[in-house]
Formats: sequence, C-alpha cells, structure tokens
Amino acid sequence: MQRSRIIGVITALTLTAVACGGGGGGETTPTTTGTGTEGPTGTGPLAEFGESTDADPALIEKALGPVEPSDEASWNIILAAIARARQDVDQATIDKAMECFNNQECDTGTGGSIVMGYADGGGDTVNVWRAVSHMEAILQALTYPEIGTIVSTEANFDPDPAVHANDIRFLITRGADFIVGYPDMGVAIADAIKEADEAGIPYASFSAGWVGLPDQEGALIPGEDYLTVVGEDLCALGQSFAQVLVDGVGTGKVAVLGGTPGNALSLGWQRCAVGDLQAADGIELVNPPPNEDTTTGDTSWYDPIIPDVYRGLLTSDPDIKGWAYEYSDGMHTGLQVYEELGIPVEDLTVALRTDEQTLFCDWAERNEPTYNIFYSAGGNFQSRVGVTAAMLALKDASVVPAEIVVPHVMREVTAADCDPDRVNPYVSGTSLVPDEILQLMFAN
Amino acid sequence: MSTQRAPSSALTAFVVASRYMPVFIAIGVLLVVAMIWAPATLGSVPLRAIAPLAAVLAIAALGQMLVIMTGGIDLSVPGTMSLAAVIMVGVGQQTDERVLTAILIAIGGAAIVGLVNGILIGGLKLNPLIVTLAVGQVATGAVFRYGRSFAVQNPVPTGWSEWVTTRIVGVSAVFWIGLALTIVLGLGLRYTTVGRRFQAVGANPVASHAVGVRVNLNQILAYVVAAVFYAAAALALAGIIRRPGAFVGTQYLLAPIAAVVIGGASLTGGQASAVATFAAAVFLTGLNQMMRIMGLPTALQFVVFGLVIIGGMLVSGDRIIRGVEYALRRRRHLDRPQVQTERGALDGTREGGA
Repeated sequence: MQRSRIIGVITALTLTAVACGGGGGGETTPTTTGTGTEGPTGTGPLAEFGESTDADPALIEKALGPVEPSDEASWNIILAAIARARQDVDQATIDKAMECFNNQECDTGTGGSIVMGYADGGGDTVNVWRAVSHMEAILQALTYPEIGTIVSTEANFDPDPAVHANDIRFLITRGADFIVGYPDMGVAIADAIKEADEAGIPYASFSAGWVGLPDQEGALIPGEDYLTVVGEDLCALGQSFAQVLVDGVGTGKVAVLGGTPGNALSLGWQRCAVGDLQAADGIELVNPPPNEDTTTGDTSWYDPIIPDVYRGLLTSDPDIKGWAYEYSDGMHTGLQVYEELGIPVEDLTVALRTDEQTLFCDWAERNEPTYNIFYSAGGNFQSRVGVTAAMLALKDASVVPAEIVVPHVMREVTAADCDPDRVNPYVSGTSLVPDEILQLMFAN
Repeated sequence: MSTQRAPSSALTAFVVASRYMPVFIAIGVLLVVAMIWAPATLGSVPLRAIAPLAAVLAIAALGQMLVIMTGGIDLSVPGTMSLAAVIMVGVGQQTDERVLTAILIAIGGAAIVGLVNGILIGGLKLNPLIVTLAVGQVATGAVFRYGRSFAVQNPVPTGWSEWVTTRIVGVSAVFWIGLALTIVLGLGLRYTTVGRRFQAVGANPVASHAVGVRVNLNQILAYVVAAVFYAAAALALAGIIRRPGAFVGTQYLLAPIAAVVIGGASLTGGQASAVATFAAAVFLTGLNQMMRIMGLPTALQFVVFGLVIIGGMLVSGDRIIRGVEYALRRRRHLDRPQVQTERGALDGTREGGA
C-alpha cells in the first residue's frame, strides 16, 4: 500500500517535471523575450531570419584561413555564425558563459523559451578541443535571446554506445528544441538521433560528425534523418592531406592516424587520402588501409593512447617520413615516442587539421629545416555554425542544407603560428573564443 | 604401496608448482609469435620503451592482487588512478617544487578511496563488486569536478617526468621500481608473519577468525594498500606520458584483474604470486604492443586481448590441478570396473567350472 503510494507520488512528480521541462520537442516558433546579449540585426540573404552575413573578414580569416567560399547556402550560414562571434563580450556574458560551461544546465537569463541541447561524445574534461568547442556553442547560443536554457551532456569517450545514446535521449526528454553535438559513436547512436528527429528536434552535428558516412551500413542521411552535418568536405580534406605528403615526402614511408575507432571524420578523409597515397609513385603507406567501415591508426584523440599507436608504427617503421592526422596536439604527444625510440625528428612532413599551439611552438623550438607541418583549421567554431543552423531550422528548415560545407585550405606552419603568449597552448589558434573566457576556462 | 605413491606425489608437486606456470609459458608463446610475425617487437629499443608501461600495469595489478587475495575484487581502479594522475597535474601546476605535495595528496586521496572501499566491504560486509564500482564512480565524479578547474591537458611537472623517465642500466626507473615492489611484496607475503596471516585470511576467513586473526582489519588494509599501489602506478604513468588527462585510469579496469588471474591467483582468495602477476603484466603489455606492430585493426585487437584473457583464465590457477585430479579420478574409475570384470571373469570361470 505504502509502496504503491510512493510510486504514485514519484509518477506524479515525474509527469509534472516532464510537463514543466521546456518547450517540448515539437516547438518550432521561437519567442524573442530576451534582453540579454543581442545578435546582429539581419542583413544579407538570411535577413528575414534575423541573421546577418556581414561577418568580420578578420574573424573569417582567423577561423578558416584564406579559403575560397563553399557553396552559397553553406557559406551564408557560416558567415551568419561568424557574424555572431563577437570578440568584445561584456562581463555579464562572460559570467553567464562560464556558468553554462560549468553546469549541465543553465538559464541564460533572457526568458527565452528555446532549450538548446549540446551532446558531446567527448567532454570538457577529456580534451581542450572539446571544451573550447563547447564554449563556442554556448557563446553562440547566448547571442540568441530566444534561447532561454542550455543543457549540456558529455559521454567522455565512454566505449559503451548506450551512454552516448542516453545523452541524446535525456536531451529529448528534457525538452530540448534542438541538439548540437559531435557523435563520436557514429551509426551506433543512429537510433537515438532518429528518435530526436522524429520528435521534431533538429540535430546538427559539427566537425564533420556524420552519423555514419553515406555508404556505411546503418548510416543516417543528413537532411532526412537529422538536420545537417557541419564540416569540411572530408574527401577533399583527405586529398589535401595526401597531396601535402606526396609533395613533401617524395619517396618514402607515410602513416595515417585517426581518432575514435570508426568515427566518420577520420574514416571520411582516410578513405580518400589512402587512395591517393596508394596511387602515388614512391609513397609507401605503412598502415593497413581503412576499409569502408574501419578506420586505421585509431588514437581515440586521447593522450594516453596516442603514444601506443605511434610506438606501434615507429617500432616497425622508424623511417616514416610523413604523417596525416586530424589532431595537431596528438602529433605533439606522438613526438615523445620519437624521443623514446631514439628517432630524430627530421626529414618529416606532417599534414594536420587542427592547430594547437603545443606542436607549432615545439616545431619552432626545434628549428629543423627538414621538418615541415601543414594544417587547415581547428574547427572549434563549427559548433557555432551548428547552433545557427539549428536556429534557422526552427524558423525554416528549408534554408539549411543537408551538409554545410566548411571550406578548408592547407597552410604551412611558420614561426608566426606559435604564439607563446596564447592563454593556453592547447587551444587552437583558430578558435573564436575570446581570450578573457579562455583564461577563466583554464584558470590554472 | 610406496612405489605407487611416489610418482603421484611428484606429479602433484609438479601440478601445484604449475599453478603459476601458464603465464611463463604464455610469455614463451608470445616470444615465438613475435619472432615469426612481428620481430620488431623484440628489438632492445622497443622492449625498453614498453618496460615502464609493463611495470605500471604490474604495480596496479599487485594492488588488485592483494584485494583478490582477500576474496574481493576492486573495480575502483580507473577512478582511483585517474584521481591520482589529475591531482599530480592540478596540484603540481607544472612546478617542480610542488611535486612532493602533489604526490602526498595523490596518495592520500587514493588511500581515502581505498579506506572507504575497505570499510564498506571489510567492515559492513557489502558486495565488493558493487561497492568498488560505486566508489570508483564517486572518484571519477571528483575527477570531473576537479578537472574542470584547469586545462586538463596540462603536463605534469617537468622534474617529475624527467625523474620517472630516468634510465637505470638502460631501462626506465619505473621498471626497476615495479620489479623491486614485486620482489618485496612476494617475499613479504611468503616469509613474514603478517604476509602469511594475510594469505590465511584470504584462504579461509572463518578459520582465521576462529584463531583470533582480525579478518575485517586485514580486508580493510588490503583495499587501502591496493589504492596506494594504484596511485603509485598512476603517478608513474602520468610521468611517462607527461599529459595524463582526466581519464588515464580508464584502461586499467580489466588489465590488472587479467594480470592477476593469468598470474594464477585464486579468485576465491588466498593464493597468489607477486612474481607471476608481474610476469602477466609483462605478457599483456607485450601482447598489446605486438598487436599494434602487426597493424591489427582496433576491433580485432580488442577481440584478441579478450580471448587471450579468457584463455589465460582457462589454463591458470587451480584449473590444471582440478583437471589433472579429474583425469586421475577418471582413470581410477575406469580401472576399477576392469578389475571387477577380471574378477567376474574369474568368478565366471569358477562358476563355469563348477
């Protein structure tokens, strides 16, 4: 009797909590009631949605380098996102951003009815790149007065896909109106993402976080099964990596590395890079090549694992002359294996995506003329693009393409790329998070 | 009579000794496999490179061994190790002067985790599987919270890293420390009163209690000392990889248990060998390295690693003893009817002759 009464009370409380838990999954009409940080007033092709594409060219250059614009629909959203990436944030915004960063849920103080969900397969305590991308998304959300609540989850690279899927499901039940995230588990969490979509909750992945590549079994289709995927053209990125290695190495052995096993980002560029590398005369790929579902050189982008992978490759092939990898700081971690194995860091070409200062400053310090690094961009700001794309979709999903292509260009590292005064050496130089906030994020 | 017992005793002695033998056979097999498919694994430089990692696993496994000897199990290893490593980064603040403070706090924090485990398991007799898992979660929660207060990818103080990677006779100091700990623990368990009492408690806690041994205190101490071992392993690992991050212990949930089991320990408590555990840690680390050198896909590496652990469990510990006993019993059983048949035949002959 008593037990049934308790169950009844718990059920009633649960139902009440769910009923009060937010705007509900199907809400698509944002209410602007906020008085907090305002975004830009609408100008340009997305003006009718309250977005300006009048982004500061310096910020575009900072985030992407000297790129050529991608397709118009993608580029407009990218510009709209960067236009909101103000660097002169006031103290109230800084305080609110830190509150949202440090807590799973925060009230933005605007009174907005929209609940933003942020689902990271990694997490702020896993690596700095994840933390900075999270902050980029928070700062972007704070420019929309319609967003009243930010709810963040992190799966911390848990090997169990259920943990990642549960985060998405939690955000659904919490009443998120849209979800931005990086799906480390790819197709393994497809069901949960589809549930979000079916509940009317747009899901936007960033950093080329495809929920399975188009030809992978069980893959979801962006634009149909979820809102959009923000990221580089992975095949083009892989080809750029391969070109850097072919040009830089000439004749010799090269290796490719990836992140979490089977993740779409690594798989996407590795397939195309490996094809080009195998076709090139004089280049010998030491890795077993990836197949359609399996990445190669899986480092999980995780410092304790990275040296093991480098050690495995360098032990059998100490004469590797080129590396292709997404993660600059991971390459920096891998260099300690050169030291361990007594291999000199010379006659080496490295093709990277991100641009953490650790590697670049280490490169400058080594001052080795036969050691050259090329990179594209850290891509932290892509989470901002995800937020803006989702906010656009709440107004009119048709303006958001299934794939928001972020253009890339490979740049050679020079001494100017090392900023010894950077707030934190693990933060990408291309991040758009203001220094004052980075300082607070990494206080020690 | 005596002529029948002599070979049986010798066989039994051999079988008892073989409790800890499979791991050494496994190392031999690994060497042969490596020679054939991944000879680069056996170079002096790669071996020197993995020696400290093997020692780290061994130190953590020795802690787990102490717990298993009490009939328990410790699943709080990942949380405890991560906590110790993150304290080294956070308290160390990349300053050599703070290394000692960081070490003391890390070991103290780990000891508290072990004490909580010990009190709940040894004192309150709660299930070790659930308790250590839960306490490990609490430790992980503390890591989360603490890890947010600084750049979690910061390195440990340079002085600590340099000290840990110092080589003595060409091999990492961590390896020698791990080896020394193994020998001291092995000798201590075997030749000291405390050690023998500790083993007795694990083998038969009821009998130990009956003769006045403080069983609960032994169990509590086992968890505390084990946690200190985990912290030591984590601090060494943090020094080796320099930037341990927040979850450096994650990979140490299964491996230390596997090392203890492959090392021949009895999961029901009592018997275990520190030397065999150390050897098992070397085996597992070597296997891991060999699979990477062979370029096996990550999925296959997991499968092989899991299968080897299962295989190790099948042939380690008292399974060989039981297997041989079963075979001997079966042989006797088969022999008996044969004698009866012979007797019966004789009787029949008699009957027939009657």
